[in-house]
Amino acid sequence: MANLTSISKSEKSYIQTALEAVPPLREDGRALYDFRAVLLATGVAPLANGSARINIGKNPEEGAGGTEILAATKLEVETVDSGDGVDGGRIVCTVTCSPAAYPLLSMNALDELQYDYTTTLHQVLSHPSLHPRNLGILPRKKSWLLNLDLVVLSDAGNVYDAMFMAARAALWDTKVPITRAVQYTAKKSSSSKPVDEKMDTDESSSGFDTRQIPSAQDFDLPDYWDEGEVLGGRELWPLAVTLNIHSSVHFLDATSKEEAAAPLKMMAAFAFPSTSSPTIQAVRLLGPGELQHARLQTLLSEAERFGQEMYDALEIKLRDEDFRRNHKARNRFAQR
Amino acid sequence: MSSRVEILNDGGYRSDGRRQYELRDISIDLSPRGTADGSALITHGLTEVMVDVFGPKEAKSRGQSVHDRATVSVEVGIMPFSTGERRKRNRGDKRVLELAASIRQTFEPIIQTSLYPRSEISIFVHILQQDGGLLPASINATTLALLTAGIPLTDYVTAMTCGVHSTTSLLDLTILEENDLPHLTVASLPRTGKVTLVTMETRLHAERVTECLKIAGEAGKILHKEMKKAVEARTQKLAQAMEMAPKVAVVGGGSGGVGDVEMEDEMDT
Repeated sequence: MANLTSISKSEKSYIQTALEAVPPLREDGRALYDFRAVLLATGVAPLANGSARINIGKNPEEGAGGTEILAATKLEVETVDSGDGVDGGRIVCTVTCSPAAYPLLSMNALDELQYDYTTTLHQVLSHPSLHPRNLGILPRKKSWLLNLDLVVLSDAGNVYDAMFMAARAALWDTKVPITRAVQYTAKKSSSSKPVDEKMDTDESSSGFDTRQIPSAQDFDLPDYWDEGEVLGGRELWPLAVTLNIHSSVHFLDATSKEEAAAPLKMMAAFAFPSTSSPTIQAVRLLGPGELQHARLQTLLSEAERFGQEMYDALEIKLRDEDFRRNHKARNRFAQR
Repeated sequence: MSSRVEILNDGGYRSDGRRQYELRDISIDLSPRGTADGSALITHGLTEVMVDVFGPKEAKSRGQSVHDRATVSVEVGIMPFSTGERRKRNRGDKRVLELAASIRQTFEPIIQTSLYPRSEISIFVHILQQDGGLLPASINATTLALLTAGIPLTDYVTAMTCGVHSTTSLLDLTILEENDLPHLTVASLPRTGKVTLVTMETRLHAERVTECLKIAGEAGKILHKEMKKAVEARTQKLAQAMEMAPKVAVVGGGSGGVGDVEMEDEMDT
């Protein structure tokens, strides 16, 4: 990856020696395992099926700075037999980096960077183990294509964690329209009286005959009080924890300067099923450098612990947002 | 699909309940964002555009720099979720390039580029939501972002679309109206009353054009008032912060901030 922020040798050694000091020090006064303030809002794009905006490390006085990412999902209907649809639906993730986030990068470097992010995110989120069950519409006929688009509006370090948080929030917010299968049956020419489409009683077939399962050709959208139902298994969407590693210390949520001074990082994505223990969905070792095998295991278990904390905090916020946008909005509407 | 929508009913109301010359709700947010030198977010009804300005700075490639003035570069990014139907437009998309070129051509004569030789001013436009009037919203947001970045302009640039329904002209079209009506986009300088950009993609009777230009110019003056109000509010906040500053702390050199604010003040006049 191209050097996104360039720092001088002395700046670099300043950050590095401060990290090695006892107790370790960071530029903004945080401890090693402290996160910057995370701001999150869902439902920011009215034309999307689900959306979220996240900002990590916004400067409270000026209101500028911080890593800012916009995520939105959009559902499309696909045909399975003739189109590129897959039975049971599919997920496609795309990450776009705004040139405003990387004003110094050339267009080619920007394309490479967003391709990098896209691959990582797509590989993790489109894995079969996370696939939501309600993305199919008609078996072998129609299915939903879930497009998840992320836009990196500004980068102040720790893009991976922010990306996964934004993706999780947007997917959590996604509502899948409820569909109902519709079937048209032609009248039998032999029968004298008109046969109702549901009451198809033929003499030759018994009611227990299940060999001819009616296969619906089309679907419609029933009138429903809400935009739809939430994605199945939405608590499963993974979160990423990036540990930045410098000699014997590792730290969380690096700013871009710290990323430049300590380029080796380990990104691990965890899913937290409610019934079983957390599962690792991805591990990436990024940047130049090497790591002892034994250390990797301790780092992974550390990352899992941080991931659990992040998950709990995000969960509270997401439920809060859900409440704000649904219950409170409905109450306000009722009281008008 | 849209032909069934009544553009202007007998009572003189449009499909979204506005009158003929009524503009949509405008909201302006000039709070700083990311590492940009100036940024602005403007909404015209449901159309939402965010602009970040960087510069004047050293040109990204030396070949692009001009020895006696600054170059202006514009990049437009349309969010794939900004429309009803998801559509990903790449950077090379003709429509995107055309939009960027129109914005650049509008601002090149307005920005006092000769003050910054051999440098570059980059304008990044993000279209977050589309509901008609994409180009005017982008131009208005760019004006505001350039002002917040402290880049000297000769005047505000305000833009508006004007459409014609049989013989009556309508202002600030939504996407429904844009699809059905011939319309032209006019960018004007409210102080001098000059016009910097007129574009039209459909056909319009020659007799209607003068009226359209006049009305769009009037709308530009209204927009100018709104934009000026927003910029003044921001400048006032900065001035207040400056008065507060010595009491809080003298450390962390306030000189840079002072310089910025002075530039703001000059521009408002």
